[in-house]
Amino acid sequence: MGSLRDVLSPFTAWKHVIETPVTIRNPIGREAADGYRGFHQNDIEKCIGCGSCEVICQNAAIDMVPVSDPVDGDSGLRPKIDYGRCCWCALCVDVCMTGSLTMSNEYTWVDTDPDAFRFIPGVDPKPWDDLEKGYRREGGRVLTGAERVEMGELAPEARIDNFDEIVAGYTREQAMIEADRCVECGLCVATCPAHMDIPDYIAAIREGDYDLGLQILYETNPFSEVCGRVCTHKCETACAARHEGDPIAIRWLKRHIVDNVSEDRRLEIVGTPQTLPTRRKVAIVGAGPAGLTAAYDLARQGHAVTVYEAQDKPGGMMRFGIPEYRLPYAALDRDIAVIAAQGVKIETGVRIGHEITMDRLRAENDAVVLSIGLHIGRSTRIPGTEGGGVETAIDLLRRITAGEEVPVPKQVLVIGGGNVAMDIARSMARLQKVKHGAVGVTVTALEDFAHFLADREEIEESLEEGVEIIDARGPQEVVRFKSGNRKGEVKGLRSWAVTSIFDDKGRFAPQYDQGDERLHPAEMVVEAIGQAADVSILGEDLTEALDWNRGRLAVDVAGRTSEPWLWAAGDAVHGPDVITAVADGHRVAASVGAMLMAMGEVAR
Amino acid sequence: MKTEKLSQMATAEEVIEAVAEFSREAHSFYTDLVPKVTKDIRYLVEDLARAELAHVRMLSDLMKSPDMRDHLKDAIRRPEADRRFSDAVQAPELGDKPDDQQVLQYALAREQVALEEFSELAANTPPGLLHEVFSFLANEETRQKADLEALYYEIVHSGGV
Ligand SMILES: Cc1cc2nc3c(=O)[nH]c(=O)nc-3n(C[C@H](O)[C@H](O)[C@H](O)COP(=O)(O)OP(=O)(O)OC[C@H]3O[C@@H](n4cnc5c(N)ncnc54)[C@H](O)[C@@H]3O)c2cc1C
Ligand code: SF4
Ligand code: SF4
Ligand code: SF4
Repeated sequence: MGSLRDVLSPFTAWKHVIETPVTIRNPIGREAADGYRGFHQNDIEKCIGCGSCEVICQNAAIDMVPVSDPVDGDSGLRPKIDYGRCCWCALCVDVCMTGSLTMSNEYTWVDTDPDAFRFIPGVDPKPWDDLEKGYRREGGRVLTGAERVEMGELAPEARIDNFDEIVAGYTREQAMIEADRCVECGLCVATCPAHMDIPDYIAAIREGDYDLGLQILYETNPFSEVCGRVCTHKCETACAARHEGDPIAIRWLKRHIVDNVSEDRRLEIVGTPQTLPTRRKVAIVGAGPAGLTAAYDLARQGHAVTVYEAQDKPGGMMRFGIPEYRLPYAALDRDIAVIAAQGVKIETGVRIGHEITMDRLRAENDAVVLSIGLHIGRSTRIPGTEGGGVETAIDLLRRITAGEEVPVPKQVLVIGGGNVAMDIARSMARLQKVKHGAVGVTVTALEDFAHFLADREEIEESLEEGVEIIDARGPQEVVRFKSGNRKGEVKGLRSWAVTSIFDDKGRFAPQYDQGDERLHPAEMVVEAIGQAADVSILGEDLTEALDWNRGRLAVDVAGRTSEPWLWAAGDAVHGPDVITAVADGHRVAASVGAMLMAMGEVAR
Repeated sequence: MKTEKLSQMATAEEVIEAVAEFSREAHSFYTDLVPKVTKDIRYLVEDLARAELAHVRMLSDLMKSPDMRDHLKDAIRRPEADRRFSDAVQAPELGDKPDDQQVLQYALAREQVALEEFSELAANTPPGLLHEVFSFLANEETRQKADLEALYYEIVHSGGV
């Protein structure tokens, strides 16, 4: 039996019945203060499902749940909140990468079903969804930095008379600050064609563990020196940080890791094939990123791989297309050295279809991979393009890399508005500066600036270097001198203004203003409009035997052609960039490897 | 030569027959070309041959239609573009082993000629059935030319980044 006090105390409470209460008896209907942190709202269109709110919540009150299919930059997940756990601290609102998550000032909710208090704001309709009052973070994100750390670059006057690398690379301090902005949401991974494990290698930078970072890079990409410099960085367009700020400099961070691991150490970390030789042979045609990635994977599976390359050095367009000021040859060589160390034989100066036929490759190997890229430069074929003084961009770029003599007149005109056009324009500008002390390059593009194909930074840097860019011009004729001692030489390009380039459905339908005709003076015209694959190497019989898909070799999802011994990868079938070629190389290697494995099983 | 037959005026039937001949010639030209081009670009020539055949069929149906029959003898002013049009009927200046770009440029040039021909015919006929027919044909050519231009851009202005 308890004390007398225990028995009487319930009754003593009654004495308060006649007192005025300090809290109101029925709070329903009483509005909270304007900025009160009440129930959550989420603008479902704005939210990208990055899960930063889930990570920050100290009470584990948030679960990310699927509500739609994932697309680039949106996981399709949305936060589900458990009011049995939430303490309304609003950290989730403060960290939200898009500002989609807010709190209304509603704070009363009566329900007999305990499960009702776990809900997906913005998806499960609630009476407070449209309330204006409540708590929202003022200004931009503060918990995660919004601004990207600037990359050091050579100034235009310091770079215009040489091919030195423009980009300096991050210092350790810069990389740490940049890496710290990443919330490790992983939204970027799906957008990267090779699905590189971006959040984990960025986390390795934060930890200062570059060996681990390098190991993670090599899991998906043997070309991190290259991609750390020239990757088209589609991942950055999906980065959570681009909302209310700059995307994380994923490409520069990748480069920072390779900058911090010596070549010898890389070989130690990556190692060499750990399997017994299978005695299966694979021939790869073309030593670009697609062929070399496939070679790397297949060699590590224990197969004997020979890569045949027409040029004197391996690398494909990474060496013979991309100029040295964007990608130094030494950096490319470091990536290739790790691949060669896997036992891959690279036979340069051998053009398949000439020195060795496809038939012979087929007879001498268990599988053949075609990764020949796009090495025929397209021409507009407007009048005047035939004859001296007209070049294609990729041929000129190749000759510059090979150290061959190229014509460097004082005034050059480039036709084309893509990155290749910018590459040749900027290369010619450098050569002109050295030879003539001045830059005289004009780029004319069909597209207007709003539809330009080249990257914004390429355009900006070209302009900084003194390249003139004229948009919306349709080339009509390469005009040549008709008489005098320069008869037959190029005088310039005649063009018409393009009044519109695409129709309302976004299809190419150029409209010209013939009244607005101009002659752009130039001693040389360079065409940089497009490229094609040289499939003539296949020979007539194989070309006939193979299936084609609207001009390109038809391949299945694994990259296999209609001939069971032949695979194709890279620009020649997919494109358009190094990382897509790398992804293709992996895909093809997996398929070839599976076939070789099956052959091994049968042999046993 | 068809150019010799030209006079200022012609009947609707003559004009449509000339147009059909233009497409028939093109169809047999493309059909002959199919085995000559390499397999990778054969689709292009096959597509063009199919489009021309569809044209021939459409024109033949048109001539047979009861509405049209009453107008076949209507006099029409020959278009200025007619000479170029008639020349193009039998002037395929395309080598024996053309590549995709040559085929496309050739096809585009033909579309342009046909487009001009129909536009002028439409302009030369007063409102009524014939005017509608030629306007329709001009629109068809405009659409086909737009398709070809889009394809040209896709094929020729492509590759790399
Ligand atoms: C000027 C320029 C700039 C570019 N800039 C960028 C950039 O900044 N970022 C980016 O990501 N991508 C860029 N690209 C695109 C990128 O270089 C390509 O997407 C990529 O290199 C394609 O790889 P691949 O292996 O398919 O072909 P390639 O790199 O073209 O390699 C194919 C190789 O096959 C060889 N070959 C061809 N035929 C034969 C044969 N018969 N026998 C033996 N060998 C043969 C070629 O010599 C070549 O070495 C650029 C391309 C160009 C042209
Ligand atoms: S308000 Fe605080 S406790 Fe509630 S879900 Fe957000 S972070 Fe978690
Ligand atoms: S942090 Fe914001 S954007 Fe990201 S999932 Fe949460 S609510 Fe959505
Ligand atoms: S880089 Fe951007 S998208 Fe990728 S994990 Fe970091 S914050 Fe997320």
